[in-house]
Amino acid sequence: MPGPRTRPLLLAAALALTAGFALPGTAAAFQLAPDSPVSPNADDAAISWWVMFVLATAIAAALIIGLLRAVRGGDQLGPRTRGTRSIQGRVGAGLALLALAVFIFGIVVTESSRQVEATGPDGLQSAQRDVELPEGSQPLQIKVSGQQWLWRYEYPDGTFSYYEMVVPVDTAVVLELRSTDVHHRWWVPALGGQFDAVPGQTNQTWFQADEVGTYDGRSTEFSGPATAAMRARVRVVEASEYEAWLEQQATDIEAAQANVAETNAETAEGDEATASAEPTEAPE
Amino acid sequence: MTPPTIPAGLPRPEIVTEQMPKRGAAWLAIASSGDHKDVGRMYLATALAFGAFALVELLMMRVQLSIPDSTLMRPEVFDRLLSAYGVTALVLFAIPLALALMTYVVPLQIGARAVALPRLNALSYWLYLAGAVTIYLGFLWHPSEAGTTALAPLSDTTYSETFGVDFWAAGLLLVVLGFVFWAINMFTTIRNHRAPGMVGRRMPIFAWAAATVSGLLLFIGPVMIAALTMLLIDRNFDGVFFDALEGGAPSLYEHLSWIFFTGGYVAVVIAGFGIISEIFATFSRQPQFGHRTLAGSLIAFAVLGVLAWMQNMYSAPIGIGWLYFAMLMAVAAVIPIGLIYFNWIATLSGGRRESRLPMTFALGAAVVALVGLAGEWAQSVIPVGWQVANTGVAWGDTHLTLIGAGVLGGFAGLYYWFPKITGRLMGDSLGRASFAALIAGSFVMVLPIQLAGLEGMPVDVYKFFGDTGMSAYNLIGSLGALIFAAGLALTLVNAAASYNNGAETGPDPWSASTLEWFAASPPPVHNFDLIADVRSAEPLNDIRDAVRTGTTTWTPPPVGAPAPTDDAVDGSAGDEPAPVAVGVAAESEETATEASSSGSGSEPAAETESEHETGEGGASEDEPTEERAESPAEVEAAEEPTENAEAAAEAERTEAEGPGREDPASEDDSEDDDGESPVA
Repeated sequence: MPGPRTRPLLLAAALALTAGFALPGTAAAFQLAPDSPVSPNADDAAISWWVMFVLATAIAAALIIGLLRAVRGGDQLGPRTRGTRSIQGRVGAGLALLALAVFIFGIVVTESSRQVEATGPDGLQSAQRDVELPEGSQPLQIKVSGQQWLWRYEYPDGTFSYYEMVVPVDTAVVLELRSTDVHHRWWVPALGGQFDAVPGQTNQTWFQADEVGTYDGRSTEFSGPATAAMRARVRVVEASEYEAWLEQQATDIEAAQANVAETNAETAEGDEATASAEPTEAPE
Repeated sequence: MTPPTIPAGLPRPEIVTEQMPKRGAAWLAIASSGDHKDVGRMYLATALAFGAFALVELLMMRVQLSIPDSTLMRPEVFDRLLSAYGVTALVLFAIPLALALMTYVVPLQIGARAVALPRLNALSYWLYLAGAVTIYLGFLWHPSEAGTTALAPLSDTTYSETFGVDFWAAGLLLVVLGFVFWAINMFTTIRNHRAPGMVGRRMPIFAWAAATVSGLLLFIGPVMIAALTMLLIDRNFDGVFFDALEGGAPSLYEHLSWIFFTGGYVAVVIAGFGIISEIFATFSRQPQFGHRTLAGSLIAFAVLGVLAWMQNMYSAPIGIGWLYFAMLMAVAAVIPIGLIYFNWIATLSGGRRESRLPMTFALGAAVVALVGLAGEWAQSVIPVGWQVANTGVAWGDTHLTLIGAGVLGGFAGLYYWFPKITGRLMGDSLGRASFAALIAGSFVMVLPIQLAGLEGMPVDVYKFFGDTGMSAYNLIGSLGALIFAAGLALTLVNAAASYNNGAETGPDPWSASTLEWFAASPPPVHNFDLIADVRSAEPLNDIRDAVRTGTTTWTPPPVGAPAPTDDAVDGSAGDEPAPVAVGVAAESEETATEASSSGSGSEPAAETESEHETGEGGASEDEPTEERAESPAEVEAAEEPTENAEAAAEAERTEAEGPGREDPASEDDSEDDDGESPVA
């Protein structure tokens, strides 16, 4: 393809590229796949990523090699090539089969990814603290609300928290995504894909963290100047620890609200309602 | 305006203007012109200028993102650049660059003397320019900060209080309206103004691409106009189209804007594919392999690509059935794209190796666009899309596709048709340096950012955090952007420098087979003195063969001769004011007042093809009444002040405008024996 003069330049570019990949390799673990998954739906994403990555790379590589070989040509003009209807039909049919296979594969992995799995033996067995449920039947429902530029999580008992979501390990957690202002997008790479929080609509996703740990996420929809700061964190803990945390959080909130109410009562009697409106509406 | 009827058997009269009207300033003549070539040149210059704008914005954003926790820019400043960059790169640069080449070349390719709706065509350009200026006027006041697509409700007054979004939306609305007008004209021209015999199976692929892009713009343009109108109503007249609290639907804007932006992206790819097809066929000296499949694949890709707009919205609360529909469309796009590449490979094999500059660019464009499209295709599987959408991965694939088809493909077309537009070649060494930098820069820029995306680097953010391990990726990506910028700037410089100083060339520097090379370079206002009678998909090859075998009465001008014997039939010599003969059938709305230089002058030294005969200037010898003149240039310099500049600047060229011939029948003679049956 390129003339002899550009070849050294291309070589230099390739070397620079190689160096470019080697360099960050020392800083961070070099990887060609999304973050290591710790949830079944993230597993599905990783599997489909690898399948599609290999498939797309193979097709692209084959076509590029074909192009470069074809253009290498000779100095002599070959016979004039002419298309026939049948060869086009065969190539088209082959590509259509490939597309069909990929489409079916896509449906299978998507359905698998959407399927909320049953909570495992180590998980939280009754999602609602005061309600007894048959074992493993009820996922933990958490309402996730995006606002510029913070995530708010509301747990089934009305307790809430910001930025950091605490969930029990091995438990199916269903997130109900909403937005109070503009579009946001929930994404914790290790726990599955991206899902929009749209004003006026409810979106749903789920995850089931296999391992205790802390997983970082970020909003990937542009939502204004502080989009970059709109990060999220999911702390996965043991089921017992989760219940303890929930009680502690409820106590803290009550204390804080009482404190606020007290302060308000001292400063201005009439302001109490409005000042405590935000915290008090959250429970129930 | 019904032309006078001519009794049968009589020769048609020539219209002769005794006094040529005074022309104003050159820029005024171009600006007020309805000639598709003038409009195309204006489109081209404006698109390249906005390419420079987009480049500056991209560079500034990459500088900001080259270090973690960057504080070089306030977030608002970054958001302004981001909001301007999105529309500038795609809607003000990549699409208009494609439209520019189509506006200039396609009427020539199909053997038309003018476009069908010249004023609408000119209006489309002026709307585009006015809209682009409106978008940038925002920078005098307070530009939009609402992101690349200005997604409502972020772009509503509640969250974007200043007038920035109004400038952005109103400007974009004008631009899109211009595109719609452009599409109406182009579609009508291709439908109605083809030369005799130029049926679909003989029409060049680039013309097919133009027809496809026209149809596409006719669909996506009104959609975006609707979305922007609703946005402007929401913002200025208390509308609630996108206000969820009042029962509006924010997702409506998301759908409509994605239809437009996806369609625009697809249009750029189709235009790039059209350019690449032409260049591959020309430089491999082969006919288009699978002409019918190529044309059909372009159309299929347009349909599938637009219908897959929800591929950008996998994460939205949409019923899963709709997402499967989008996935099916996106996955099926592999069929037309694969067929296109297959046919290109078939065209190239057996061809002769010619590493001319347009070929180099076209090959680079095909490779880079393929890498990007393969990535997009991988993302069409829903779980993959959920994982990598709006990250560096998706950003990289979109950019690779647009760099491949839009920048490299557009530049391939620029290098290919620049000699037609200006009569001069673009510089070779600058071009090769530009190509190397563009290829290296685009991969060095994109691939590290894609790796960062795999680790969770989102798009559209003004900074990333130092604790996320993306610092090295981003730094390398920024360096790549610098290399890329250098490459893009080199071609812009090359075009500017070659405009007046490039090596002069004849009408057909590449020995191509399509009709645009039958006209002079640059073509006269009426494009063709003789309208070819098209007998195959390679009409110019037929004409060459006819000349070689002597089966035509039409003789080409001698190749490379200083042209003392050339017919100078514009009658510029003599004592009388120069009469200019204008063909009755010249469809140009302007009277052909220009006496454009013919291509019969200097041939490029580099050109080796012997059958280089297609000069326009060799006017037919069956015009015995025309006065002939020696050394017309000198005479003209004295006689015609309005054309002094051109005549003096190109003194060595011969002014030799043949009278327009409206009767294709006479041209029939030249090719009768050569009626090669169509390929496909």
